[in-house]
Amino acid sequence: MIIYPIIVLIVIVIWIISVYNFFVSSKTRIGASTQEIGNQLKRQADLIPNLESSVKGYLSHEKGILQMLTDARKLISTGKDASAKIAELLPKLQVVVESNPELKGNTVVGSLMDELRDTADKVMYARRLLIDLTADFNVKRVTFPSSLVANMFKISEQEGFKASEAETKTPRISL
Amino acid sequence: MKNIYEVQSANKIKSTIIVVVFVVFVALTVYILSQALGYYWGYEAGGLGGVGLALIISGFISFGSYYFSDQIVLGISGAKEADRKEYFDFYTVAENLAIGAGLPKPKLFVLDDSAPNAFATGRDPKHAVICATTGLLDKLSRTELEGVIAHELSHVRNYDTRLQSVVAVMVGLIALLGDWLLRMRMFGDRDRDRESMGAIFLALGIIFAILSPIIAQLIQLAISRRREFMADVGCVALTKQPRGLISALEKISKDTEPLEAANKATAHLYITNPFKGKRGQGSVGWFSNLFNTHPPVEERIKALYDMV
Repeated sequence: MIIYPIIVLIVIVIWIISVYNFFVSSKTRIGASTQEIGNQLKRQADLIPNLESSVKGYLSHEKGILQMLTDARKLISTGKDASAKIAELLPKLQVVVESNPELKGNTVVGSLMDELRDTADKVMYARRLLIDLTADFNVKRVTFPSSLVANMFKISEQEGFKASEAETKTPRISL
Repeated sequence: MKNIYEVQSANKIKSTIIVVVFVVFVALTVYILSQALGYYWGYEAGGLGGVGLALIISGFISFGSYYFSDQIVLGISGAKEADRKEYFDFYTVAENLAIGAGLPKPKLFVLDDSAPNAFATGRDPKHAVICATTGLLDKLSRTELEGVIAHELSHVRNYDTRLQSVVAVMVGLIALLGDWLLRMRMFGDRDRDRESMGAIFLALGIIFAILSPIIAQLIQLAISRRREFMADVGCVALTKQPRGLISALEKISKDTEPLEAANKATAHLYITNPFKGKRGQGSVGWFSNLFNTHPPVEERIKALYDMV
């Protein structure tokens, strides 16, 4: 029967095509995931200075009030007349308390920390995708029988993720 | 310590074997039942017309729950879409893990229930839904939550909703055919000439009609348990930190509150068995384990510790 070798041949050809397509498409996906890392780094670069300045602005607001309160308390503890100081402080304090029913410095810093952790996670997971995709690609390239196809089409090894000197430096926050 | 990639491929092989066993069993049962039904219906179509009909009916029943699985979640009382501000950890963790898995971000829902649990559904990654209870979000830390969400996301990545739907169609098919055969036996005409082959198939068919629905369901549950292990391994592959999931599982299993919104149809989707307090111990436990959608939490934790 001539039909059986033909069927086997067709199956082999389909298999070669699918393995070849795996290499080509995952090469594209590796490229896309590299771009995604850049995308997340850009997000981080945009986000952190903005967060920093808004939190700083808020904290300086609170810092002023606290400073005045401590000053007044110090005056009282020394036994001097603090009423003048307090009279100066009270209107300012009222304005602040009216517009901010509670001092929220703690939660503001807390959510800043959450956002920082989140953005770091996003970059980390974007890199992990690149690492996983490259690993899959390279494993398939060297393991039998897909290595035959890789050799046939001279498919080269993917480099994957390498942390550069500049990238390993984390942006710092100073409050 | 075991290499995560070896565990992953071992799990894939085990899962494939059990699915193949299931397919072979279904094929054999359908063959025997259709031959036995042929005894009543005539052999011309070999009873295959009946099989086709049963397949259509069974498929029709399960298709809705498969195709609209993401929208059915909306129907669960109290499930609302999670927003980034209110459920920051849940939202961002799911978003980040989806980046890591190379999947689109699933739709996220929060179910107002104090029992800590979570489930995933949806016919493919594009229609995936992950739903967590408020109890889960309150009780777990971000790292633990990461473990749970990664487990659910692995279900999505492994197309477990699709697999379970196909399996459910097959189980329904067998149940229908068996049911028909038993009814025929009671009400069908018995005056037909009895051929020896036909009689053998009829006897075999009746045995299969009685036993195979139970066996098929047991295999279905075994598949479900195997997929849970696979999702656990997938979670570790994604987060690279088994401790998050371990401590989440410990916390969840210590909580004895049963989940109100769960029913038998969705039980296999949850992170742990939502019906708690029904688990037996010892040899009774082993037997009742056969009927569980999830492997015992202790076993899962042990398997996870092997990967630490």
